[in-house]
Formats: sequence, C-alpha cells, structure tokens
Amino acid sequence: MDEIIKDITSQEYKEGFVTEVEQEYVPKGLNEEIIRLISAKKQEPQWLLDFRLDAFRKWQKMKQPAWGHLTLPPIDYQDIIYYAAPKKDSERPKEIDPALAETFEKLGIPLREREALAGVVAVDAVFDSVSVTTTFRKTLSEKGIIFCSFSEAVREHPDLVRRYLASVVPVSDNYFAALNSAVFSDGSFCYIPKGVKCPMELSSYFRINASGTGQFERTLIIADEGSTLSYMEGCTAPMRDENQLHAAVVEIIVEKDADVKYSTVQNWYPGDAEGRGGILNLVTKRGLCRGMGSHLSWTQVETGSAVTWKYPSTILQGDFSASEFYSVAVTNNRQQADTGTKMIHLGRGTRSRIVSKGISAGQSQNSYRGLVQMGPGAVGARNYSQCDSLLIGSRCGAHTFPVIKSLNPTAVVEHEATTSKISEDQLFYCNQRGLGPEEAVGLIVNGYAREVLSRLPMEFAVEAQKLLQVSLEGSIG
Amino acid sequence: MSQVFIVGQSELPGKVRVGRDEVLDWVFVVLPGVSAEIPLEIDIDGPGAEVSLAGLYLCGGDERVQFDVAVRHNAGDSHSRQFFNGIAGGRSRAAFHGRILVRPDAQRIRAFQENHNILLSEEARVETTPQLEIYADDVECSHGATTGFLNQEEQFYMRSRGIPESEARVLQMISFLSPVLARVSDPAERERLSREVEAAVRSL
Repeated sequence: MDEIIKDITSQEYKEGFVTEVEQEYVPKGLNEEIIRLISAKKQEPQWLLDFRLDAFRKWQKMKQPAWGHLTLPPIDYQDIIYYAAPKKDSERPKEIDPALAETFEKLGIPLREREALAGVVAVDAVFDSVSVTTTFRKTLSEKGIIFCSFSEAVREHPDLVRRYLASVVPVSDNYFAALNSAVFSDGSFCYIPKGVKCPMELSSYFRINASGTGQFERTLIIADEGSTLSYMEGCTAPMRDENQLHAAVVEIIVEKDADVKYSTVQNWYPGDAEGRGGILNLVTKRGLCRGMGSHLSWTQVETGSAVTWKYPSTILQGDFSASEFYSVAVTNNRQQADTGTKMIHLGRGTRSRIVSKGISAGQSQNSYRGLVQMGPGAVGARNYSQCDSLLIGSRCGAHTFPVIKSLNPTAVVEHEATTSKISEDQLFYCNQRGLGPEEAVGLIVNGYAREVLSRLPMEFAVEAQKLLQVSLEGSIG
Repeated sequence: MSQVFIVGQSELPGKVRVGRDEVLDWVFVVLPGVSAEIPLEIDIDGPGAEVSLAGLYLCGGDERVQFDVAVRHNAGDSHSRQFFNGIAGGRSRAAFHGRILVRPDAQRIRAFQENHNILLSEEARVETTPQLEIYADDVECSHGATTGFLNQEEQFYMRSRGIPESEARVLQMISFLSPVLARVSDPAERERLSREVEAAVRSL
C-alpha cells in the first residue's frame, strides 16, 4: 500500500515554466519612495496614494501573526520587488505581447474572445503586477456590467472604487491586508448593476512570472440589488527554489437579494518534494452580505502553494442573508495549509453552511480553522459545519480548530468533524473489481470531495478533478 | 468504576498520566452558583488505556465556567471519549475548550469528543472550541459541537398533553443532561446526583 501512495503523490507541476519576456521592475525593497513610485507608474490620483501611505504606516506598526499552525520561513520584506510588469512594445502599444498570449494559451486561458467548451467565460488575465487584458468588456458593458482591471477602474470609475475600497477588509484588518493595501498592483474590478444577471462566468487568472517578486493583487466585486454573478479565480507560478510571496485581498459586497458565487482553484507552485521553494499564499478574502436576502457562496479547491493561510469569510449583516463555504484542501510532500472560514452572523434569520474536506499526504500539515459567531441580533440564525480530514500515509498531520461563539439564545450552531484514512478494505474492494491501486485512490478521493467539487462551475470541475489526482500522485504507500 | 467530582466541593485532579491498560473514568458536575476554571490534562502513555471524561454544567446567574481539556495520545492502541453538556442562563459565560492530540506513530487510536450547549437567556454566552490535532494516520477521531435552545415543538407536544410549560422545560433540560449522568457507574451515587441536578434545573 505504501508504494501505491508514493506513486500517486509524486507527479510534476506542469505549469512551472518561465516566460522569457522583457520586464520592468521597481527597485527591491519597501519604503514610502517605492510606494510613491508604484503609484506614479500607475498614474493614480492623490487619494489612492494617501490610502497606500496610510496603510504602509499602519503596517509598519503591526507584527506578522504567528497563530497559524504553520512554520513560515522568515520573510525579508526588503528583499522583494513589489512591482514587475512586462514591457509594452512601443510600436504596438495596443496589442498583447505574443509571448504573453502564448503563456496564457499554454495555461489554457483564452485571451481571445471565443466560445469555450461549456459556454462563455470573460477573463481578466494578470501577469505579475499588471493586467494583460480583459475580454468581453464590450458585451458586458451593454448590460451595464463593469468588468476591468483594478487600475482601469481607478481611472474610469473612481467614485465606485473610492466608495467600496477597504469597506469590507479595513486597511489595518491584519498584517498582510495592510501590506497589500500599501503595495497592491493589479487585480480585477467588477460591478453588476441592479437586477442584472451576468450572462457569462467572469474570471481572473493570476500568473507570477518574474523571480524575486511578490504578487499583491486586489479584487473588488460589487453585486448591486437583485443581481447574479458567478466568478472564478485561478492561478499558477513557475518552479523556483525561492519562496515567493502572494498577499492578495478580495472584497465582495452583496446588496439586497443579490447572489454571488466565488470559486477558486488555487494551483500555485507548491515547492519540490523536499519543501524547497513554492509560493507563500497569505490572502484575505471577505464578503459582506449587506442587504436583506443576499447570498454569497465560496467554493475553493486548494492544491498548490508551499504555505496557504486563507480564510474566505462572510459577514451576514442583512436579515435572512445566507452564505456557504465549500472547500477541498489537498497538501502533499511538505506543503502546509491552514485554511477555513469565518461566518459572522449579525442579521435575523441568517443561514450559513460550511463543508470542508482536507486531504493530507506525504509529510504535509493540513489544518481547518474556522469561526462561527452568532451576534446578539442573529435571531433564529442557523449554522451547520462539517469538516472531514483524510490522511494518506503515516507522516502527515490533519488538524481541526473550530471556534463557535453564540451570543443569542435563538440561534443554532452545529459542528461535526471526523478524521480517518483510506482503509485497506476500501482499496481491497476496488482492487477486487479490477481497479488499479492508483485509480482506486483517485476514485475514493474524488468521492470524498464530491460534495464540494459538484458546486464548482463546469469548466472548473473538470480541471479540479484532474488537479486532485495529480496533487496526490505518488502519495500511496 | 467512575469517579465523580462536584466542582467547588471536590478537589480537582488537574494533570494525570495514564499507563498501559489503565482505565480512567471521570464525571464532572458544575452546579448553579459555581464559577470555576477546570483545566484537565490527560497524557495517555500506554497501549490499551481507556479514558472517559464526562461533564455537565448548569449556570443561571453570573457564573463563569470554563473547561480546558487536553487529551494527548502519546501511545498507540488507546481509546478516549469526552462528553460535555451544559446549560447557560442569566448572564453567565460558559466555555468548553477541548483538544485531542494524537502523536506521530501513535496508531490505532479511537478518540471522540462531544460538547452540546443550550442557551436560556439573551445575555448568556457560550463558546466552544473542540480541536483535533492528529499526526498519525491509522486513527478514527471525531468531534461534534452544538449550541441551541430548548425545542419549542417538544414543548408544544408536552403542553398539548397537559404538562405545564415550566415542567416541560424542566423535563427537556433533564433529558439533555441525563446522558452525562448515565456515565456515573454506581447506582446509588447516580440516583443522588440526579436528584441534585433536578433540583438545580428547577432553580434556574
């Protein structure tokens, strides 16, 4: 059995290539000058520069948190390049560099507007610190939908950005959110007007390419009254021996009766089998169900990154608003994940549901950490959490750290968690019926994660299932 | 044979190590009017050990009750169970912090943990953090935690059969706590404790 697990958990990372493209950088290090330089490069208004500087001053006074069940390598914030952008061809400033187009093509991200297999997807493709292109903008704008890079939104819709920026994740929320607020480069901006159902899936794709850099993207999604949106996010990075920092902030505002579904397939470079290199994925994602009857659903498949520190959360402020969190987190080799969610119930009759499936293999550590809080106003609120852990191999760890706080006698919270391994019996049963050991593990793992995978949009679900298999390659033993 | 600790009256055990084939069976009772922090650290050092911890807490006023339970499986082939139920009314604060730790190579472990809470009043607060930290793979571990209130449909059922509301509530609370009382193995002691708990429930 050990042999089988080993085979399953060792397959290579096929997105690990580097694109040779001329890039421009700001000097290494972090200080007010650098922030002014980034802001100037992006031709930002004064208010945004002030916002950045304020965040930087707050960040300087903060300490890196150490409460995660993680061993983080020391991060030298002065040894990172905070802005890297592919140079534009001066002769053809409007066109996409063919090298970049090829990169995204190779990653399976269509930069040209075309019909995808299961319908149409609009993409905002971000390469290091800048957005390369955003597709289907025209089609979307006919419906009044704004979908563009964050930098463009600052130029074209400053009133909206100014109104909503940092309204869900305050600048000083946490160490990495403050860092992001000071140095964020590009990201996606999306506004769905009242009563509009977005006709296609919107997506962001983040690619780290340059070495010695970090990626600090910022995403802001606003779903106005009665609108509907499905949003997807994907990411990859080259294979390197150094750790690269990725500290993003995602803010989602959901107004009355609006419905947002946010799906992530996180496939950053996880480092090699000995734990060298890999992305440090330290992100803050939070949604605010502001209006009555609003709905936000998080779905995440986490297979990459050397370290994942991520808690997509929802503040259920509007009465009868609802939120869900579906997560599959796979760790292999020496990966570490500390991920989960927070559901803060403030309004009457609010509902939340958490389904978390952790899979640890190799020598990895995989933790679920969550908070469910029922505020004094959460009359009749309800939460149900289910957190399962699957262990593959005897040298990995699986942990569950939920916190439940109830301040309301009419609220109900239920939490359940289990930890177990794939049993010999299950494998034997499959083998008996002609399935090879690897297939059997794949089948069992997919069945285990099915509840979450079935929530993903079609394009993602296929990808995620494949990723799950690949991530576990070589882990059976 | 189970050992009963009435918090505030009995001396509390605190830290203990459990060796090969040893059995530990403890029941904790926190009655109204008692504020206490109850730290329990159990190290299971030998195979074949069986640990059972149970507890009930009843708070109706300004009490602060906090359980900090750590069960560490340092050796394989051992078994542990935790079962804590509590009721919080008035302006009380009740907290249950429980942890199961399974060390690397401590295989064939079965460890379970449950904590259920009922809130009776607007100003009462409950916090529960059931945690699992597991470094071995051949294990069967689970935990469950809930917070909620007295079921009104059950109350309606009883009232429609002539049981007054106050009595219905008492019956509900007793049935909520009785699985903990059932852990007391000596019948005479169980009977005596049940009467005490019933009187306490009626006083809430």
